Order: sequence, then structure tokens, then C-alpha cells
Amino acid sequence: MPAVSVDTFFACTLMVIVVLSAMAGASKIILPYVNNAVGLNAPERYEQLSKYVLLSAGAPSDWGQNGQADPQVFGLGKADSGNPYELDVDKVTRLNDENQYSVSYADAFASFGLPDVSFSLEIKPVFEVITNLTAIFDADNITVYQFEILTEKDGAPVSAEIKCRIIAESYLNTADTIPSDGKVYQNITIPDSVNGPALLVAFARHAYDDRIVSYGSYAFAHNSTETETRGTYLKLSPLNYLLNASIVHPETNLSEAYAVTFDYSASLEQVSRSNDSAVYQIPRFLDPSPVVIVLTGRNSTVFFAEWVAYPQVPTRFGADFTNSASLSSIYAFTYMVKVGSVIYRCTVRLGGPRE
Amino acid sequence: MKNANKGQIRIIEAFFAVIIIFSAFAVSANLSVSNHTISHENLASIGLNSLVELDRDGYFCKYITTGNFTALREALSLVLPTGVCFNLTIYDTQMQQVNTEIITNSGFGSQDIATVEYVSAGQDSPFLCYIVHMQLWVVT
Repeated sequence: MPAVSVDTFFACTLMVIVVLSAMAGASKIILPYVNNAVGLNAPERYEQLSKYVLLSAGAPSDWGQNGQADPQVFGLGKADSGNPYELDVDKVTRLNDENQYSVSYADAFASFGLPDVSFSLEIKPVFEVITNLTAIFDADNITVYQFEILTEKDGAPVSAEIKCRIIAESYLNTADTIPSDGKVYQNITIPDSVNGPALLVAFARHAYDDRIVSYGSYAFAHNSTETETRGTYLKLSPLNYLLNASIVHPETNLSEAYAVTFDYSASLEQVSRSNDSAVYQIPRFLDPSPVVIVLTGRNSTVFFAEWVAYPQVPTRFGADFTNSASLSSIYAFTYMVKVGSVIYRCTVRLGGPRE
Repeated sequence: MKNANKGQIRIIEAFFAVIIIFSAFAVSANLSVSNHTISHENLASIGLNSLVELDRDGYFCKYITTGNFTALREALSLVLPTGVCFNLTIYDTQMQQVNTEIITNSGFGSQDIATVEYVSAGQDSPFLCYIVHMQLWVVT
């Protein structure tokens, strides 16, 4: 390669480095000072907007309860609530796209009324419950399943009380409440006369504040073939204390329906039934706990247990900011909110065009 | 012939240089400046929201009245985001310190500390009122 070409190459490289450094420096140091007032107040503006979403009930104020209605003004607050950051159970539930009454992001965006602001919402329990099947012991007429139950927040252990409920065909059993420092083993005994697959629902209540409750679930084979994924046989949509079960497979027969919480359990009463759906009444439990609803039945000869939580949390709703960091200014605000009687963590992300 | 080739090579080099420079402009214009830090105001807002949420239904005041500061510390540690540390001091209406032990989840300080002042009122008789001072900082 001639020396002139090498010179040119190095000159170009140097020029690119200088230009890039100048642009990076300008964007970091100078641009914040030359932006307009909106740009300077963007964090505060977005923070106020995030609070508005959680504090306002929207319009109509009962848009959550009516599954056919879309909000004209978007807001998740519970109507007529005297407490801040208390969200409506049904509005939160309608954010979950697994629910047949869910609102679309397009409708929510339109009702939010700010064409330059995209948003997303993530609502989840304060801590996680992770269940793992670690061992199986066969005995006379019974099978013992050993579960490892972890309660943690961002990987750190959380002290909690654990209560497990086991559901199989015509079978609902509750294990004793056990304390946990973040990791505990629970033995679940199921008679061999019971048909599966079985479903374990593990509730965890914080050791010091009974409003901080989380749950985890684990479906496992017991006297049965392997479990199917959720939603194979039924699509469950709770709303306004009614559970709508849409039948996915035509040869499906429904049997028992249960609602379980940390302290209570109940059989659900069927309100109506048609060829492709059934409606059940969800009881209003007094204890602070998410309600897990389990609907059992048979598809031909296969037993199944489908479940859903009410409120339908965890949920993630709205714009996907994963790949738009280069084009948008994104601000995230985290709040503790109350949905029903339980405290959840809510993260509101707002983004607009970069100034 | 040789001189003519030299001229062509210069043009090609210049062409490549222009492409590289404009590519650099195009890419750098979309470089994002990610800022994942929690601002001072946001930290105070998070702290106040946590206190409001724990005080709902009179729980916060109950912790103080019963002297259950361990429960208070554990509950606050759980509701605050991971990496946020706090130090809590509780006073009665005479500004006498109520907490007999240090209520904190970390012994390390930081240069950027947000302070939140909150008044917690009990729901039971006799009526009790406490003034809560909370300092928050982010673990660096």
C-alpha cells in the first residue's frame, strides 16, 4: 500500500474520532443548556403524568367493571377511594392481554390524550415465589412430592409464611402454614386414588406485613400424562367478580371450580352456561391476598386444571421501549400501589421523542 | 498511465472517506445517553410513596406504638427498590425521639442523600401522632 493511502486512511480515522468526540461532548454538555423549557422540565412532566395515571380514576370512572366499554380518559385509580395509589381491581385486570376484556394499547394511548407520550405499565407482586419440584417419593397408596419454595426480591431472600394448596380432580387440600427465611421445602402428599394432573398454588405472606402477599404455581403430573400449557382447554377472564370461562376445545366438560386465597378457599357457583362458555361468581374474600381461581374439567378422557389470578397480576401493558432507547427519552417511575387489599409494585415508563 | 491511476485511487479514497464520515454522523446522531440513576427528587418521591403505602390502614403507627421497629425496618426494606438504603428517625409531638434502636438497612452513607418528612397518625384511641424523618440514598 502506498504511503499516501496510509496517510489518507489515518487522516480519515482521526477525523472520524474528532467528529464523534465533538458530537458526544456537545450532546452531553451543551445540549441540556440549549434545550427549551419543555425539555428541561421533561422529568418532572413525566413524573406528574405517571402519578396521574395511578391517582386518576379516568372516565367513565367505572370503565374497569364494564368489559365492553373502553376508557375515554385513561386512569387506573379506584373510583371514590379516599386513599392515594389505590388501584381498581378490574382496571388492572383489563391491562392483561390474556383477559378477553383487555383494553388495547391503542385505545389506552388515545384516551391518555398526549400524542407525544408513549407509556407502559408493569404491575407485579413486591416479591416473587418460585416453586420447584425436587423429589418424588412413592409409598403405599400415596405419593409424596417435595417442593422447594423460594421467596425472594431481586434475588435476595424474603422472610414469609408459606401456605400451599393442591388441586386435582375432585380434590382440594391445604398444607400447614410454614415459616420461611427465603427457602423452604414442603412435602405434598396426594392419595393415589386421586387423578391428576395436579396443581400446586403456593401463597407467601410477608412475615411482618400481611398486606404484602405473593403466589406461585406449579402444575405437575400425578396419575396422569404430562401437563399442558395454560390456556390449552379454557381461556379464563375474571372481571367484576365474575369469571368468564371460554371453552377452547369443543369436547370439554367442566367440573369443579375453586377460588383460593392465603386464608380461605371456596367452591365457585356457576351463574350461567352455554356451549362455548360458562360464568362463575367470584366470592369477595376478606383476607388480603390475591385470589387464584382454578377451573377443572375433562377434555374427552383427559383431566385438566386451568387457573387464573384475580386481579390478573403480574401484568405488563403498553409500549415496548426495549429497542427505542436511541429514539426516545424514557423515564421510569416506581410506586407501591394497593390493588384489592394487597400491596404491589407498579412501574410506569413514559417516553417521548428526544429533544 | 501511472499518473492517471493515481488520480483514480485518490478519488476512491476520498469517496470512502466521505462515506465513513457520513456514516459516523448518522450513527452518532442516534447514540443514546442512558441514565439509569435515581435522581434526588425521585428518591424522595419513592421514599414518601413507601411511607404512605405502609401507613395505609394504620399499620405504620401500629409498628411504632408497639415498638416493633424490626417489622418496620423489614417492611420498608421490602417496599423500597433494591439498592436504596434508608435511615429512619421517629419523633413524637414533643419532638422526643421514639425509636430506641437505629432503623436502617445499611451502615454506609452516600454523598447524595434525600430527606423525607412524614407525619403518621394513628387510627385508634388515644390519638397518637408521630413525625418521621427518613433519609434515603442509593448504594454506589
